[in-house]
Amino acid sequence: MEPLLCLKDVKKSFGDVQAIEHVNLNIYKNSVIGLVGGNGAGKTTLLRLMSGVYRPTEGSVNLDNDRPVTEMRSVLGVVPESTGLYSKLTAWENIRYHSRLHGIDDQLAWNRTYRFAKLLDIDGSLHRYTEGFSRGMKQKTALLRALAHGPQILLLDEPTGGLDVTSARTVRKLVRKLKDEGGTVVYSTHHLAEAQQVCDRIIIVHNGIIQADGTPKELLELTQTSTLEEAYVSLTRETARPRMEETEKTSKISAMWRRLFTPSSSLEVNEDE
Amino acid sequence: MNSRKRIIIVAKKEIIEFVRDWRTIVALVLIPLLLFPLLFIAFPIVMQNEAAELNEKTVHVLIQSDEIETSLIMEIENQSALTTTEAMPANLLTLSDSGNDTERLRNMEYDAILRMEQRNDTWYYAILHLSTSEQSNEARSRILDVLIQWEENLTSERIESAGLDVDSTLNPVRWDGTIADADVATKGEQAGMLLSLFIPFVLAIWTASAAVQPSIDMTVGERERGTLESLLSLPLSRSELLLGKWLAVVSITAVGVTLQITGLLFGIAYLASDFIDVPSLSIFAILLLALAVAFYGTMVIALYLALAMRSKSVKEAGSVLTPITLAMIMPILLTQFINLDDVEMFWFGIPFVNVLLGLRELLLNRIIIEHVLVWVLVSSIVCFMTIRYAAKQFNREDIITTKS
Repeated sequence: MEPLLCLKDVKKSFGDVQAIEHVNLNIYKNSVIGLVGGNGAGKTTLLRLMSGVYRPTEGSVNLDNDRPVTEMRSVLGVVPESTGLYSKLTAWENIRYHSRLHGIDDQLAWNRTYRFAKLLDIDGSLHRYTEGFSRGMKQKTALLRALAHGPQILLLDEPTGGLDVTSARTVRKLVRKLKDEGGTVVYSTHHLAEAQQVCDRIIIVHNGIIQADGTPKELLELTQTSTLEEAYVSLTRETARPRMEETEKTSKISAMWRRLFTPSSSLEVNEDE
Repeated sequence: MNSRKRIIIVAKKEIIEFVRDWRTIVALVLIPLLLFPLLFIAFPIVMQNEAAELNEKTVHVLIQSDEIETSLIMEIENQSALTTTEAMPANLLTLSDSGNDTERLRNMEYDAILRMEQRNDTWYYAILHLSTSEQSNEARSRILDVLIQWEENLTSERIESAGLDVDSTLNPVRWDGTIADADVATKGEQAGMLLSLFIPFVLAIWTASAAVQPSIDMTVGERERGTLESLLSLPLSRSELLLGKWLAVVSITAVGVTLQITGLLFGIAYLASDFIDVPSLSIFAILLLALAVAFYGTMVIALYLALAMRSKSVKEAGSVLTPITLAMIMPILLTQFINLDDVEMFWFGIPFVNVLLGLRELLLNRIIIEHVLVWVLVSSIVCFMTIRYAAKQFNREDIITTKS
């Protein structure tokens, strides 16, 4: 079977920092793939490489027919971790803005949006400004926005992060429904239980390297463990590195200037207490 | 879908979002529209009212003189002044020496003190006053008016008594006819001259200041709000994104500049409708004017978008763009002082200055081909460079992750 999305020997570095190292990954049609890893593991970088926001330092990210992802972004629907909604636009205006840029007719986008909005139970809020939306409402709106143009692959970066139990459940149900309708979803999460519940295939990412890739059952067999949590721990024993943002470089002048106004701490640990 | 459509979609969304903030409407529409009418119309009205109020006030004047004429005292009293007369104080070095009278002015016992003394045929005088008091200044001004008139009468009397004609002695050289008739410039040309001082100034200042907020909001602001990442994953090139945002900032700034120039023209027309006409400009000059404005807007806004996108945070972008906006005043001031009759060619090679100088020349309907060629060439190069720089910033991979 031909993969829908193919990462070939992908390497991504930011200056001296290696964010992703030699990743080979095929995403096949009609599946839900979970990217699981801790903070700074490289999940978001991988998703950004898949969505074409980042260009690989080495290797290639291609969609079917070997076309670079940057040339075929219309087949993707992306929900970043921040949701990225404009607060002074209504939910529908946010959705319409993206669907128009995808070249989709407003009526078609509205029909799709309304169908999914009913499933997510926010059909009554589509004409409200997103300014006052809760985290859950924002996440659902971002999902609708990613779905309005009918993407072949949906890339979700921690879609249930910060959501209440009911909202998280609704999002997971939607993901399963999309899969049942023949869709493909790549889903990044911290939570193994969630990945086990939603995903057909789990990819464990650690320090920018894919440590394991398979169904939950295959991961248990690979690690000779009885639970996914144990499997995850055995695969990620190496100390996690800090997040990319924390390793970001500051210019020499800025660093020197900051040091001038950073008093040195003279506190010492008192062992007797 | 073609590129032009995508650029327009981005620009439209940016404008809608910007306009939905009521504070923006105040800053974008009301302030530019009302600024000059307020300065030119309301301000003088307020000043006139204040002056009229002061005029109605009665001032207290102390006259210190041993030989002042009663007619002069009556003239001062006719200026709504209450007068008190007393003898000239002794032991003064000069009449301006306030001596023991300082406190009388400071505690407002009197608003002004007039001292007069005749030595031979000449009258010497001094008016003591407190310059920090409006009422004291008013009293001084009224006394001066009376003294000037009194001096004129005295001069006339003395000329007459010498057997001379007063008018020809006092005004031996005089203008014949009206001054305005002697100016060969048409009213349209005069209007162009006046506007050439104002319009480049307003255009440059308002473009530089009005573009700051939207430039920051649409670049680093978008990054801070987390909306940039989803935008970059759309089938939209970064150049299209830059052009869409540029178009939005240009539109917003253009509305502000147009409204401010409308307000300026309305103010000028209100104040000087009798001697100002519509500037007489050829079609070619108007086209070149539009080109100069387009160059200036392109350069400034592309530079702002680039610098804002390069910044790590909204705060940093503000710190970078504020001094640049202030620095933009320099070329504007320079162009105001350059003599257009004898302008050296090198001025037209200096970016920003050249476009503003070009605008001044064109408003005077002066199309000097060599000048036009130089500023068009230099501005085209600078426009290209600023757009390239902006495109480079928009193409940076870290634009979604750079945080303060």
